[in-house]
Amino acid sequence: MTAADPAGISAAVRTDVVASVRDLRVYFGTKAGIVHAVDGVDFDIRDGETLGLVGETGCGKSVTARSFLRLVPMPPGIAVSGSILFRPRSQCTACGGAGCAVCENTGRVVSDCQHCSGSGCPSCDGSGVETVDLMSISERQLRQIRGDRIAMIFQDPGKALNPALSIRDQLGEVFFTHRSQELLDRAGFGASDADGAGVLVQRHAALRTRGIERMILAVPPLRGKRNALMASADDMIVDALSETQIPNPRKVMDRYPHELSGGMKQRVMIAQALACDPDLLIADEPTTALDVTVQARIMDLISELQERHRTAVLYISHDLSLVRRIADRTAVMYAGQIAEIGESEQIFRDPQHPYTRGLIDAIPSVTHERGRLAAIAGNVPELIDPDPVCRFASRCSYAAAVCETTEPALHVADGEHMVACFLHNAPPGTPAADLPVRARSAR
Amino acid sequence: MQIRDYVLRRLMVLPLLIVGVSIIVFALTRIGGSPIGIYLSHEMNAEEVAELEEKFHLNDPVPVQYYYWASGVLTGDLGWSGVAAAPVIDVFPDKLAATMELAFASAIVAVTLGIGLGTFAGARRDRAPDHITRVVSISGAAMPLFWFAILMLIVFWVGLGWFPIGRSDPEIFASIGHPTGLYTVDAVLAGSWTAFRDAIWHLVLPAVTLGYGATAIIARMMRSSLVEELQEDYVDAARAKGLAERLVLRRHARRNALIPTVTVIGLSFGFLLQGTVVAEIIFRWPGLGRWMADSVLRGDQATIMAYVLFTSVLFLFVNLVVDVVYAYLDRRVVLGV
Amino acid sequence: MRRAGELTANVLSNPTTLAGLIIITLMIGMALLAPWITTPNTPNPTQMPRDWGAIAVPPGSPGHPLGTTNTGGDVLYGVIWGARTSLRLSLIVVGVTVTVGVAVGSLAGYRGGRIDEILMRIVDVFLSIPELIFALAIAAVLGPSFRNIILALAVVFWVKYARIMRAQVISVKQNEYVDAARVIGDSPLRIFRKDVLPNAITPVIVQATLDMGNIVLVGATLSFIGLAEAGLAEWGVLVSEGQAGISAGRWWASTFPGLMVFLWALAFNLLGDGLRDVLDPRTETSR
Repeated sequence: MTAADPAGISAAVRTDVVASVRDLRVYFGTKAGIVHAVDGVDFDIRDGETLGLVGETGCGKSVTARSFLRLVPMPPGIAVSGSILFRPRSQCTACGGAGCAVCENTGRVVSDCQHCSGSGCPSCDGSGVETVDLMSISERQLRQIRGDRIAMIFQDPGKALNPALSIRDQLGEVFFTHRSQELLDRAGFGASDADGAGVLVQRHAALRTRGIERMILAVPPLRGKRNALMASADDMIVDALSETQIPNPRKVMDRYPHELSGGMKQRVMIAQALACDPDLLIADEPTTALDVTVQARIMDLISELQERHRTAVLYISHDLSLVRRIADRTAVMYAGQIAEIGESEQIFRDPQHPYTRGLIDAIPSVTHERGRLAAIAGNVPELIDPDPVCRFASRCSYAAAVCETTEPALHVADGEHMVACFLHNAPPGTPAADLPVRARSAR
Repeated sequence: MQIRDYVLRRLMVLPLLIVGVSIIVFALTRIGGSPIGIYLSHEMNAEEVAELEEKFHLNDPVPVQYYYWASGVLTGDLGWSGVAAAPVIDVFPDKLAATMELAFASAIVAVTLGIGLGTFAGARRDRAPDHITRVVSISGAAMPLFWFAILMLIVFWVGLGWFPIGRSDPEIFASIGHPTGLYTVDAVLAGSWTAFRDAIWHLVLPAVTLGYGATAIIARMMRSSLVEELQEDYVDAARAKGLAERLVLRRHARRNALIPTVTVIGLSFGFLLQGTVVAEIIFRWPGLGRWMADSVLRGDQATIMAYVLFTSVLFLFVNLVVDVVYAYLDRRVVLGV
Repeated sequence: MRRAGELTANVLSNPTTLAGLIIITLMIGMALLAPWITTPNTPNPTQMPRDWGAIAVPPGSPGHPLGTTNTGGDVLYGVIWGARTSLRLSLIVVGVTVTVGVAVGSLAGYRGGRIDEILMRIVDVFLSIPELIFALAIAAVLGPSFRNIILALAVVFWVKYARIMRAQVISVKQNEYVDAARVIGDSPLRIFRKDVLPNAITPVIVQATLDMGNIVLVGATLSFIGLAEAGLAEWGVLVSEGQAGISAGRWWASTFPGLMVFLWALAFNLLGDGLRDVLDPRTETSR
């Protein structure tokens, strides 16, 4: 692994990587100037793992997450560069999605790259596996992935659910958009129903009907067919809701978001996200808006569902201790860049980046001595046209001359553990006097 | 359940408000000269006048007089219209039908154009359609109807000659029956295409003119609501589910944006109602508005009072309906937020 | 003072607001300078002059850049003196309505209880009658004259301010610093003046600005319908009197005065909207 290829994909082609972010940059145009919200971010998400992305407000973690599904609004967002490679999985043909040795019981397998038929080529980044670049595929292709292969849950379920639609309507949308054929099959409509009525029903199943067509469907002969379709959708919705341990799913379906508690709403969001068995779940601070007692339950739910579906999870949070519990690996972000990344336990036990160390020290704990809470001095710098220097330098107690003239890049510290700090690797040719020294410390 | 309570509460206040309005109207009749002036017509002799004075208890204290006046109103005695040379209550229905037809047509224009324009602009924020809509909205709010109507007349009637004024061609009008009093509906019922076309052709100019102001405020509200809704998380959540952009717009954003717009639509009804007075003058429309305008000029108090009473009651009911519809649509409101 | 300076800068930075302000300045200037930029009509300058030698001449004719009316009145004269009439109308009506409305609303909001209920019921009744129609009825009953139009508008439009002020007073009243002042022992009137009023007044200012435009609009409509004196140099009257010539193609006598009403209302609307955005983007005021 090298800095230019942090995930080491080219060297040892990894087929267990589900997504790979490469040099992601997202800038915003504001009156004050161009804000570099995300400025060169690289990381991988492996199949089935939970990767925590931690950082304080404004560090760019949310923007990074939203970039996966191209949800960053393009005004005010401008210039986006880099790539997010994604390896979608499809249903395992050997077991039909039930789980077997071929698909390692997940029900899903990767498919061969269309361009090289599995041998390896530039478009699949040498892996031989079907790969798409989420940054450059068409709207249409992206829409097929959204909600189906990659799903997202949001911070405040009260705001992320449409107040004007019932739970049934909102959850149903996912099925109508991505599983309309299954809905039709379950309701007993064969592919042979090619007559006018059948076509109408098929369109309805794909949410393609216009108002007039819907009115026609309300009339008796067609009404029965429509109701059959709806009933089959209802069944699928109930299944999805039950999976998240929502009591009385049939009743909940009829409700509107404001009639549910915060925890219930978040369960609905999770049900919605996992409805089509996605390969990657992006969770943008899903428990921040919830009570502490509910937080724990929701996190456990996510873990459980993740294990069952073998879904990879990108878990965004500002809460370090929370992430420690749930994430296999953690990436720490600061001012639009990754400061440190590695196995969660290792990062907590032995943080290498001064920022990470500051964050961990700042966590109040029962075992700490009484005294002042350790806070990191200073503020996050303005990200407008930043200089190519270490962005943490102004707040860092180890800062030295090189930190203020050169930008650090991610380097291996120990195995999987990587850090972007001159404490751990000096650019060749730097005089010793300019380097930060480990012994110096604030406390 | 809460909607029911809300509606009931509002319904209970309504009679109080109506009584209040009637008191104001009653006071106005007093200010305007002889207390029984609204009942007098030229043909009455001294005896009949004295009878009237008895009937309405003019020698008794004012509250008693109010009671008799109010009872008269409730039994349909709204006085004599000098302008129409007939009892107010007799002339009212026909004129009402004419005005309702105009108001309804204007409302259709305003709502469809307003919502359409507002959605179009809101979805394309800060681009050309948005700027055009903003110009329309701002000018619409400040537009003096009487001036705009005259301009429309100058351009479309005198200038281009595309549309006629008045409500109908007298011959065509006389050729069909009038069960409902609404020219368009009657034409359809009579199966007469000539009459229908005549009705519509006369309706276009006044309806568009009258509807312009309302279009402006509806479009403005729709646009700003839509822009606000598009910034909400659930819109991103809907996109994240893979929905096509037009579905996101139609099913999610627009549905919520329509909610505050409904109140504006209700408000614009008051706007339309008042506009009929001026529009009917200028386009020679034989409705309540023109009757009112003539009465104002010729001191026909009976008509003035009847008109004020009627429009206020109508106004109150429409506001109530709008508030109830709003409460039904926005379930958050119902829970008493 | 610094806040006022900041405010002005913010207001001026919006191009539409600035445009509104410029138009208003021009109009008010025109109104104030009327006796000097025109030859005032004798004996009463607010009546349109008659020039029997120049009846219904089109714009661009010598001595009458905007043409003349059916009775030979110079349209430009009507436009300029009409501004003066409109200024007078709007200042008086807005002045009276704001004062009365704010007083009533503050009383209702501050005292609460019975007084509040009674006053607000009255306000509700007034608001049940559509504004134009109400003003029309009052002016009709009082008799057609411009003064009665002013009176009618005043009677109709004060209620809006009562509502706004009451809502503001109630919400400010619940703020802690009012309780703090009361604890210190300030008299209710002093608290009102120092704490409640300055904060509550913002939506009133916005509404008053909008009304400066709106009042003229409604007033001109009333004059147009015929409730002012004939021959008055007022925009609504001019539009009405110019109607007769329309079918003969004489468009100018109605178009220019009407345009003035539009510009006046537009300018104050733009200014009012600009003020609202700057002072409190969340306030809802009626048209």
